[in-house]
Amino acid sequence: MKDFTLKIVTPEKVVLTDKVSQVSVTSSTGQITILSNHVPLVSQLAAGEIVVKQQGKEENLMAVFGGFVEVVPGQVIILADRVENVAEIDEDRAEEARKRAEDALQDKKVDSAEFAALTANLEKEMNRLRIVRKYKHKGIRTGKH
Amino acid sequence: MSQGTGDIKRRIKSVKSTNKITKAMELVSAAKMRKAISRVLSTRSYADLSWDMILRLVKKVDTSGHPFFREAKETKNIAIILVSTNRGLCGSFNGQLVQKVIDSIKIHAPEVTNTDIITFGVKGREEVIRKNLNLIADFPKNDITENSVDVLPIAHLLVKEFKAEKYDKVFVAYMDFMSSLKQIAHVKQLLPFSSHIDERLGHIIHEKKNKEHVDIDEIAEFTFEPSREEILNSFLPKLIEMQLFQAVLESEASEHSARMFAMRNASDAATDMINELTLIYNQARQANITAELAEISAGAAALE
Repeated sequence: MKDFTLKIVTPEKVVLTDKVSQVSVTSSTGQITILSNHVPLVSQLAAGEIVVKQQGKEENLMAVFGGFVEVVPGQVIILADRVENVAEIDEDRAEEARKRAEDALQDKKVDSAEFAALTANLEKEMNRLRIVRKYKHKGIRTGKH
Repeated sequence: MSQGTGDIKRRIKSVKSTNKITKAMELVSAAKMRKAISRVLSTRSYADLSWDMILRLVKKVDTSGHPFFREAKETKNIAIILVSTNRGLCGSFNGQLVQKVIDSIKIHAPEVTNTDIITFGVKGREEVIRKNLNLIADFPKNDITENSVDVLPIAHLLVKEFKAEKYDKVFVAYMDFMSSLKQIAHVKQLLPFSSHIDERLGHIIHEKKNKEHVDIDEIAEFTFEPSREEILNSFLPKLIEMQLFQAVLESEASEHSARMFAMRNASDAATDMINELTLIYNQARQANITAELAEISAGAAALE
C-alpha cells in the first residue's frame, strides 16, 4: 500500500510528521478512515480518536479534542485543538477530571457561555476516558500501569 | 587637583552601578527570550499549516459571497494592528515597526483614504500618537501572552468591522522572529484571505520555503464535511485568532531577543567606559603625586 505524509499539529506542538499507510479520525459526521489517494477533503473533527497505522509498527492511538483535517494529494494534515497519546492518559485521573467536569455542570449558577464551555469540557473528559478504557484491555499500555 | 580625581571616582562608581543593572537585565531578558522562542517555534507549524490550508482553499473553492473573502474593488479604508512592546530598552524595535507601518501606508497611499491603527502594546501606542497616526483603539498587552484568549477581543473587533465593510483590508504589523540575532518588521494581510501575497510589504522566509509543496493543480475539487459553509464559518475566525496570536508570539520572541542584545551592548559599553575612566583616574592620581613631590622637593631646596 502506498504511504502518505501525515502531519498532526496542535497550537502547542507538532505531534507527528511521518509517512503512514492509514489514518482514522472522528469527524463531526462520523468515523472516517483515510488511505492514500483519498479525495481532497476538508472536515471538522469531533472529540474522538486518531488511529495511525504505519507499516511494521504498532498502531498509534491518540485522543483528540476538536479541530480540522485536510486531505490533499500525498498529504494529510490534522490541525487539532489538543491531542493526547493514549499511553499518556491516566485512567484514574481522567475519571476524576470527568467527575469534576460533571459537578461543575451541575452547579446551576452558570451563564450560557460558561455552560457551553463546561459541556465541551465534559465531552472532552468523557472522550479521554472512553478511549483509554477501549484500548486498555487490548493490551496497550496506558498511563495507569 | 584632588577635586579632579574625586569627580572621576564618582563617575566610575555610577557607571559601575549602571553596568550591574544592565547585566541583570540582560540575564532576565535571556531567560524570557528562551521561553518566548520555544513558544513561538512550537506554534509556528500550526499557524503556517493552517495558513497554507486556507491559501489552497482560496484557489480551489468558490469563495465569492463569503464575507471573509470580500475583495473590495477599491481599497479605501484599512486597519493595521500594531503589535509592539510594553517596555522600552529594546533597541530600535518599536521605531522600526512604526516606520514599517508608515512605509506600508505610503505604499497604499494613492487609493487608501483612511488608515486606522489598533495598538497592542504601550510603546507602539506612544509612537503612533507621536507620529500623528490615526489611532482608534488600544488593547492592553501582557508581557507574556499565555494563550490566544488574550488576542480574542482584537480578533472579534476586526472580524466585526470587516464584515460590516468598515474596512476593505486588515493588516497586522509585527516583528518576525528569524533568529535571536535577526528580527524583521513585517506587515501581513489578514483580511480578506488572498492567495496573492503582496510582495511590496516584504515577505517572511519561513512562509516562503514550503518544503513539501502541494501541487494544487492535482486537486480537482475539495469535499467538505459537513458542509462548505460550516467549515468556513468555524475555521476562518479561528484562523484569524491563530494568525494574530502567532504574530504576538513572534513579536514577543523578537522583543526579548532585541532587549537582551541591547542590554548586552550596554554592558559592554559600560565596561569599556569603566576601563577608560580608570585609566584617566590613575593618570590624574599620578599627576597629583608628581605635583606633590615637586612641591616638597622645591620646598626642601628652598630651605637649603
